[in-house]
Amino acid sequence: MSNARDKIKEFIIENFLFGEVEGLKEDTSFLDEGIIDSTGILELVNFLEEEFEIRIDDEELVPENLDSINNVAAYLEKKL
Amino acid sequence: MQIKICSRCILPDTFPGIKFDDNGVCNHCRREEKALAKASGKKSDYIKHLDELIKNKRDSAPVYDVIMAFSGGKDSSYTLKLLKDRYDLRILAYTFDNHFVSPFAFENIKKITDKLKVDLVQFRLPWTAGKEFFSLTAKKDIFSKATMLRASSICTTCIGIVKALVLKTALEMSIPLVAFGWSPGQAPIQSAMMKTNPALNRQTQKAFLKAFPGETKKRITPYMLPDSYYEIYKDRFPYNIHPLAFFDYNEEKIKVELETIGWELPSDTDTNSSNCLLNAYANHCHIIRNGFHPYVWEIANMVRQGVMDRDEGMEKIYTDQNADMVAFAQEKLGL
Repeated sequence: MSNARDKIKEFIIENFLFGEVEGLKEDTSFLDEGIIDSTGILELVNFLEEEFEIRIDDEELVPENLDSINNVAAYLEKKL
Repeated sequence: MQIKICSRCILPDTFPGIKFDDNGVCNHCRREEKALAKASGKKSDYIKHLDELIKNKRDSAPVYDVIMAFSGGKDSSYTLKLLKDRYDLRILAYTFDNHFVSPFAFENIKKITDKLKVDLVQFRLPWTAGKEFFSLTAKKDIFSKATMLRASSICTTCIGIVKALVLKTALEMSIPLVAFGWSPGQAPIQSAMMKTNPALNRQTQKAFLKAFPGETKKRITPYMLPDSYYEIYKDRFPYNIHPLAFFDYNEEKIKVELETIGWELPSDTDTNSSNCLLNAYANHCHIIRNGFHPYVWEIANMVRQGVMDRDEGMEKIYTDQNADMVAFAQEKLGL
């Protein structure tokens, strides 16, 4: 799972923080901190579905599953 | 200074975080390769899913099956036609008048809704409010850096209001589907058919509002979804659909098809809009502040997906904004 966590982190840093890792902690809220907006969440969903070959259902699109590195990693652990 | 542009899509080296390989191909093109290889199969799956969703939702609401965010531009007009022709839905078209809707677009709105026999409501906010919101976002970028990758501050404000208004109306009128004419480049295909999640919507709206300074935030809040709606209408949250993400998309064919029902290409808008007189100025402000065109992400996606020719994409993005249109909007906003 640490590999999955690294991939998520890398995706966030490359696509939303432009390489600047400062301020990104494992429990930082992507939405509250303005790291990701509503369209960005959809891109994160796109990435998770492609990278981990999963299907994210509509009811799973909640902040508890998607709004921080910890949340995404925990969600993936349940899914994979 | 000469800018470097991806040899496959059209993203420039001024786009934040971009990297190029030895062949001059950007990291976004490389990352999308796997998804693009599966795209055509995925598109036909989405069409089947939409057919199924519509079969389940049709006639389930008292008056309308779908509310359509309708600007009178090419993409939303074509989506409206698609929903009427293919599915014969009971449609409520919803137009947001931001005080910069082209007179051509208003004519198109009337012609298209009459021709397709679709009900239309128009929502116009007072000019003092429009001027305040758009002047503020013309002067500075108030949203996150990530948001600025995909749209200008002005467009983000306008579409934020539109999305909230149509959702409010859908909830109030118990409409199960909300349609947008988003192009295949505007959002990933996964979002093309998705039930609105109340908790996620609440949090993204909170983040949107947080970007505005105190007094302006107070004045924009009434256009957003009130907190009470999350409880009152908790069982009514609709599906969002963006059919153009997975139906065949070809700008020229769309224009030709729309012309058969009376739509005319406006002569008073810029190359990236067929309805808005503020767009050129919004682009101009964004380019000055960020060093890249606010439509470049969307158009690069479309080039990558093969729904737009690369040369056409280059022309849309790397042609200077029309100076008269920029001056018109700047003057109207008193800037």
